[in-house]
Amino acid sequence: MTLPVWAWIIVLPLITSPLIYFIGHLGKSRGVFAQRTALLAFAATWAAFVLAAQDLQHNGISKLMVGSISLKFDGLSLLLAMIALVLGSFVVIFSGHYLADEEGQEKYYAMLMAMIGVMIGLGCTNDLFNLWIWFEAMAVTSYLLVAFYKDLPTSLEAGIKYLVQSAAGSTLVLLAIGLVVAETGALNLDEIRQTAESSPALMAAGILFVIGYGVKTALVPLHTWLPDAHSQAPSGISAMLSGIVIEAGLIAMLRSLSALSGVTTLWGPLLMSFGILNMVVGNLMAFGQAQVKRMLAYSSLVHVGYMLIGLGIAFSMRDVIGAQGGFFHMFNHGLMKGLAFLAAGSMLYTLHISKGDHRPLLFDDLAGAAKRYPWAALTLSIALLSLAGLPPLAGFMSKWQIFVAGVDTHNGWIIAVVAFAALNSVFSLTYYAPLVNTVYRCEPSAIVLSGKRLPVVMKLPLVLMALGIIAIGIWPSLMNWLTEPAGTALLAGLGG
Amino acid sequence: MAAILVLLTIGLPWIGALLVLLTGNERPKLQHAVASIISVAAGISAVVLLWFTSDQPVLSIPMGSVFGVFTFVPDALGVLLAVIANVVGCLAVIFSIDYMKGNEQLGRYYALVMFFIGAMAGLGISGSLLLMFFFWEITAFCSYALISFDNDDPKAVAAGIKALIITQLGGIGLLVGALIINSYVGSYQISAFLTKAETLPFNVLVLLAFGFLAAAIAKSAQVPLHTWLPDAMEAPTPVSALIHAATMVNAGVYLVARFFPAFEDVPGWTTSVLVVGMISALLGALMALVAADLKRALAYSTISQLGYMFFAVGVGAVFASQFHLLSHAIFKALLFLCAGAVIPAVGTRDMRQMGGLRKTMPFVFTVFVIGSLALVGLPIANGFFSKELILEEGLMHGPMWAYIGMLLGVGLTALYVSRMVFMVFYGESHGEKPIHDGLFWMRVSLTALSIGVFTTWLLAGVLSDLMAQTLPFHGVHAIGTFELAKEIILAPATWISIAVIVLGIGIWILREPLAGIKNLLRPVARIIENGLGFEQLNQGIINGTKNLSAALHLTQTGQLNWNILGIVGMLSALFALLFIGV
Repeated sequence: MTLPVWAWIIVLPLITSPLIYFIGHLGKSRGVFAQRTALLAFAATWAAFVLAAQDLQHNGISKLMVGSISLKFDGLSLLLAMIALVLGSFVVIFSGHYLADEEGQEKYYAMLMAMIGVMIGLGCTNDLFNLWIWFEAMAVTSYLLVAFYKDLPTSLEAGIKYLVQSAAGSTLVLLAIGLVVAETGALNLDEIRQTAESSPALMAAGILFVIGYGVKTALVPLHTWLPDAHSQAPSGISAMLSGIVIEAGLIAMLRSLSALSGVTTLWGPLLMSFGILNMVVGNLMAFGQAQVKRMLAYSSLVHVGYMLIGLGIAFSMRDVIGAQGGFFHMFNHGLMKGLAFLAAGSMLYTLHISKGDHRPLLFDDLAGAAKRYPWAALTLSIALLSLAGLPPLAGFMSKWQIFVAGVDTHNGWIIAVVAFAALNSVFSLTYYAPLVNTVYRCEPSAIVLSGKRLPVVMKLPLVLMALGIIAIGIWPSLMNWLTEPAGTALLAGLGG
Repeated sequence: MAAILVLLTIGLPWIGALLVLLTGNERPKLQHAVASIISVAAGISAVVLLWFTSDQPVLSIPMGSVFGVFTFVPDALGVLLAVIANVVGCLAVIFSIDYMKGNEQLGRYYALVMFFIGAMAGLGISGSLLLMFFFWEITAFCSYALISFDNDDPKAVAAGIKALIITQLGGIGLLVGALIINSYVGSYQISAFLTKAETLPFNVLVLLAFGFLAAAIAKSAQVPLHTWLPDAMEAPTPVSALIHAATMVNAGVYLVARFFPAFEDVPGWTTSVLVVGMISALLGALMALVAADLKRALAYSTISQLGYMFFAVGVGAVFASQFHLLSHAIFKALLFLCAGAVIPAVGTRDMRQMGGLRKTMPFVFTVFVIGSLALVGLPIANGFFSKELILEEGLMHGPMWAYIGMLLGVGLTALYVSRMVFMVFYGESHGEKPIHDGLFWMRVSLTALSIGVFTTWLLAGVLSDLMAQTLPFHGVHAIGTFELAKEIILAPATWISIAVIVLGIGIWILREPLAGIKNLLRPVARIIENGLGFEQLNQGIINGTKNLSAALHLTQTGQLNWNILGIVGMLSALFALLFIGV
């Protein structure tokens, strides 16, 4: 059997993952070997991705049956693969120095690679049960990465919380799948969509999907694992968790829920309500945080909120712009939050970790950082301001697209939600802006003065991501090739 | 050609910003040179653009999907804003050569100033609402970053964030408005909206009119959203002159003037604009009268003068408002830059610590008096013509009570300016002897602006002509400069207001016998200083948010059992809601 080209973007990471582990075991400098191999694996996957993207553009959606497993490559798969690969590549480049003194680097790169393959697979699945399998596999791979510092109690605690809460969620998902099968007799998403009619059991299944996948997506109040996990994981993994793992949960939720779109019209309002809740709680929790990575973790809640509003509009109104806006924001959030975590991580590395200290990075530690680390400071500021939605940066444009969708509904309630989302954006400045101010103080803190130089390889991903954020902020249609098919795919999933 | 000029006017400062950053703080001389040369070039390109005004887009960039077409329309209203931004901008940059000498973070300073200049020019020339909002937000960001330029000073940081938050809150009105216009008109183009405004549903138009007004009030620091502007005086003084006197604060006036044709028939809208303007003019003047800090006094005066421009728009005199906007930009930048020369020379911002500088700083004294003449509105200075035009229009087209209010403002202006000049330059010296009388590059800027004070009113004819040609919706009539001057000089309103000015100055001279009145005013002043209770409201909201946030932090227990309860609880709640409630 010849595999279609897009299948290689799932297969390549999965087969190279054990390879990275074994090669990492050869020779003395395990980390370097493993990292180089991972980079090669990325290069190969990227090549497959480019071909797959072109194929999707020219020939449309393609499906594949492996035994009874149904896979398809559509706009949503493309989006998830793109974010995973972009972030993954930068994180691998970044992690070389960050982890230089740690044990078990070969495991780190191997797991990272496996996690990326699994997430891309999750994006390509077309039936409920396999969706759940990929989802569980993602939880397993990411759990090991969250608890990477296996000798630190805080890291283990975060890992356990993450694992237990994820497991609770996935039990609910399993229950939902059971209900759906009992009602419709089908697992394939297309078949479910055709047969699903309004019934209490399917309503219950929908709610279980939202809550079950919602744990991973960090819907409030299911989010309580997130601040610990994001702040305890190595910074590269924080970037992955925030930039793509929680979004993969969201994609899984959307796939499942869209098959049940005929059951009730309430899914849209439900998603939007979670959007509002996430924005409010995320903002209030981020406000007043003294730890940089914890603040960034809470800000992820807020941004999931924006995505949910766009996607909720798409569900309610069968509106492609809302979907496109939500996915545009998903991509931008990957870049912005990824950059924020990596830039903060570079500081954490040079100020604490390189001295063998695993203390959290505080706002005050960064006082005057711009003087010694101009690039890290500048890119961190760009990431924060973009998160706050200031032009000419990417975050402004994707929020705008979501807002356009909201106002275009001419529905008073939704317009009020848009205004409220804008208000939340302004509020978020109250915790982003002070960090920017702190970084640009003239008098460096003692800890900054004693910091080591930042390796060039570490700065490279920061600068590239910042340039990406600016480019998208000035030329938002740059990402249309990615967000448009994703929006269309969701609408197709809704039967619209 | 026009397209190239537009690109240069916006792009040159931005390129300059990048170059200054890349030059690096190790080479301050080169940074000064790069910043000044490029900003002068940008100033020239903006001025040349005056010959290429048009009511049609000269440059259109399709952005795809929901972002519409970014168009640049260099009509008179927009180009005026761009010229002010780039010309005053380059003078502020030149002034900074001496003012910022020895600063460690010159790169960041110049980059932000030039980033601002380009964005401000872009804000004027934008023909698309999205593009305008884009630049609008950039100016707000630059303003914040420059107010808190001295990040080591917590006061500066707080002031910067306050300015950002308040202007952004108002900006939500503009954001939602732009989105609604796009949705109903099918495009972001301002001209398309002005053409079709009447076809919009009535309640939508009302929402737009007042949303835009809220944005304008916040941006132009009008009462009651004015409290950020006095605090913004923590910025380096050239920045106060450029952003918080001559340019960014005009954006609100610009906004109401730009959309005046669409909203003038919305019931209560013009009256609201007029009332906001009048109250700000009066309260700003009162505040300026009691302020002890030289820069804060000037900031209150800016609030007051912007109030005159709002008033003008409120009575339908769009041309008069823009004419005064031009005059004010010049003379207020001059006054601020004078303050920028005085403050470092004497080492304090407190006017009570100054005095007697007339003898030790004769150059600065002369130019300050020139600026004061214009601010008070005495003949030959540009402020005289523009302010008299506003008052005349107010007398003819506005309600009498509002006219009387504005006249009272004129008297108060004369009073506070007299007080300011006296406290700084006359009387006994109360502090250190100044270390200089304006350094070379400071004097260059001050001289240029002083010349502007006496000459920019000559542009009235050209300006009205250009506005008549390029603003099809505003109904501005072209009028020759000297015809206008004659009309103003012969108008009874002018003589009334000159009498009021003389009265104002007279009261200052007779202040000793009138001390009782001053004591009467003191409690009133305290209330106004706190923004009429608005500041308390601010503080209340901040404290409330802090408490709410602290309370919410309790929900993050860190205990797994509670976490799981969150999951189960939400699940049960949703089941209950969907099955029982709906």
